[in-house]
Amino acid sequence: MKKLQLFTLLFSLTLAASAQNNFLLYSFKGNVSVVENNVESKAKVGKPLASTATVKVAAGGAVTLICNEAAMFTFTKAGTYALNKFGDSCRVSSSSVSANYVKYVWASMTKPTGSAGSNRKAYMNTVGAVSRSINNIWIDPRLDTLNYPGGGPEFPLSWKSYSDAKDFDFSLYSSDNISTAIHSTSVNKLKIPIGDIANKMKQGNSYFWTASVKGEENDELKIINYVTKETYAAVLDAIKKQGAAFEAPAEQAYRIGFMLEDAHYLSEAYTYYTKAATLDTANALYRSTLMSFKKDYEIK
Amino acid sequence: MKKPLHKHIGHQARKMHGHFTKYLYERDTIFATIWVFLFIIILGSIPLNLGSLNPIKLGLKDLDMNDMSYSKLGKAQNTPIDTSNIVVINIGQADREGIAAIINKTASYKPKVMGLDVIFNGPRDAAKDSLLREAIQRNKNLVVAVKIETDSSDKLIPTENFFLNNASYYGYVNFPNDDKETVRYYFPFKKDDHDKQIVLPSFSSSLVKLYDTTAYNKIKKKADSKVIVNYTRNVTERKKQYLVIEGEDLLMDNIDSSAINGRIALLAYVNLSPNDIEDKKFTPMNEKFAGKSHPDMNGIFVHANIISMVLEKNYVKKLPSWANWLISVLVCWLFMSFFIRYYLESHIWFHLVAKIIQVASAILFVWLGIHLFDRYRLKVDMKMSLLVIIMAVDVIYFYEAWAVWMHKKFNYKTVFKPHHH
Repeated sequence: MKKLQLFTLLFSLTLAASAQNNFLLYSFKGNVSVVENNVESKAKVGKPLASTATVKVAAGGAVTLICNEAAMFTFTKAGTYALNKFGDSCRVSSSSVSANYVKYVWASMTKPTGSAGSNRKAYMNTVGAVSRSINNIWIDPRLDTLNYPGGGPEFPLSWKSYSDAKDFDFSLYSSDNISTAIHSTSVNKLKIPIGDIANKMKQGNSYFWTASVKGEENDELKIINYVTKETYAAVLDAIKKQGAAFEAPAEQAYRIGFMLEDAHYLSEAYTYYTKAATLDTANALYRSTLMSFKKDYEIK
Repeated sequence: MKKPLHKHIGHQARKMHGHFTKYLYERDTIFATIWVFLFIIILGSIPLNLGSLNPIKLGLKDLDMNDMSYSKLGKAQNTPIDTSNIVVINIGQADREGIAAIINKTASYKPKVMGLDVIFNGPRDAAKDSLLREAIQRNKNLVVAVKIETDSSDKLIPTENFFLNNASYYGYVNFPNDDKETVRYYFPFKKDDHDKQIVLPSFSSSLVKLYDTTAYNKIKKKADSKVIVNYTRNVTERKKQYLVIEGEDLLMDNIDSSAINGRIALLAYVNLSPNDIEDKKFTPMNEKFAGKSHPDMNGIFVHANIISMVLEKNYVKKLPSWANWLISVLVCWLFMSFFIRYYLESHIWFHLVAKIIQVASAILFVWLGIHLFDRYRLKVDMKMSLLVIIMAVDVIYFYEAWAVWMHKKFNYKTVFKPHHH
């Protein structure tokens, strides 16, 4: 009997070990090829692939695969990918609808809905405008307009790249001439500190900026208003006056940071969020907001 | 000595059972239950549409609690991608010439049947029209889309397809709801009200007819009846449960022939951007199951879900109205007995217990409805059961006054005493 049980166990383990994931090439763009049985062929949509296959993605290409008819994942970077190493990506969650219902009801009943002031993303996620042209650079719409009074902490103008490029061109234009840049530079990071270009601008004027993959063009222009100290002081004063009668220093700093971010004074908002988190280190909201702000604007 | 746990549980269960059943067979419980339904019938018979001023009714008009199972509870998340029956080919913004090229190219991969979910209103460019006409005429396994309307003589006719006479097959793509409502039902076939010989097939029925005779014979039996659509698959940025081939990939031969060969190829406009709502419908799979939202699913995926349902024979069954009423009567009777017990014997706790029971039963009944729908594909309308529990609390007060009055006038025997509280 024990031998039979052992045999059954070994047989089951062998079966489990030999279970192969199967893949479906769902879509691709750019140069993508598939190597099966040492034969390389061009990728084709809808092609079933065994786990022994390898997918090769050239620079600028991407491929989406579906594993075991359920789990989807995408390779966006150039490289050679052996599919047998992606077994983890084939897993799908399998909790039942009833179990999820209990979790959902419990979470709905116990989680407070929160207010706009405690969730800067929920409050500010309607920023945005239409976008024209398609290029390899994405600049967060939050940076669409930046009011900058000079000084303050180092604040970066950042972007994201859809390609594997290492070098990027940054250009600054005056508001009355967007055909010739007043300042151009190459950077090998996905950001540039605003302090680096402050000396190219004059207070009281507006400027456009953009970033592109080196050698490419990007028509998407973002605005920097290099405001005067007086303008900023007036804005700050107006915000300060809106406080409640008994406002703790940390509360005030958080509120000012929140309102400055809403008014596009991002580097100054960063100062006040930091102040709030420093004044009340035990407050999780101040801490998480600061972390979230730093993450959103690529502040390291 | 302390009681063992199982005895303690048994005692509590017996106690709770007693709470529910102590007054179960009292005539007051039965009459109070009858009064609940009399109120529902009387209020429902008032010939005024008071709902037009009721924001809650307006907001929840299209609400079905089962929709929550898709948006919040992960139903259909793990349905495998359809790799054997249906493939969708995105025609994008192709004009008639482009569509003709896509039809011919698709046909070269030998699908068993093709469906073109595009309405063509009248002639456009003559040369391009000719190309499309030729493509439609040449491919005998192509089903084109029409809309059904009634003409001036009230006769059911297919319309809005300039190439209808050139097509071998057609099917209507209208759904029996307005654009702002969730697509929950469809008619597999539509019969003319006057001439029963005129039966028009839906787009999906025409496609199934050419693809799977057995499945078609089953759906044929449901002619002219409203069928609940069982949504099992979707295509979003995050989830791909149908294979979608871009027209450009097709024309450039970037396709594995097995993706189309022998399948149903649905040619239609697909755009996954939530900001593009062209030919998009509201479905139970919408991320928001209540309140304002964007339409969420391209029309072709609604048809694809219908076809999948018919081919896989996983229809949704709906509990008949009489059964829903019967359940609500039983629920009302049971809860009335429970409420009367608290009303008479622990009146100080009555309102608190009643409110807790109402909330708990709402949670329980919603779960029950969702569970039956998810597990057994059985749609049970628990709304009436919830309504009777809510009304039961108020009806007790009315019933008490009525019973006491009846007692004084006609010596009606009741458990309620005059001036009970």
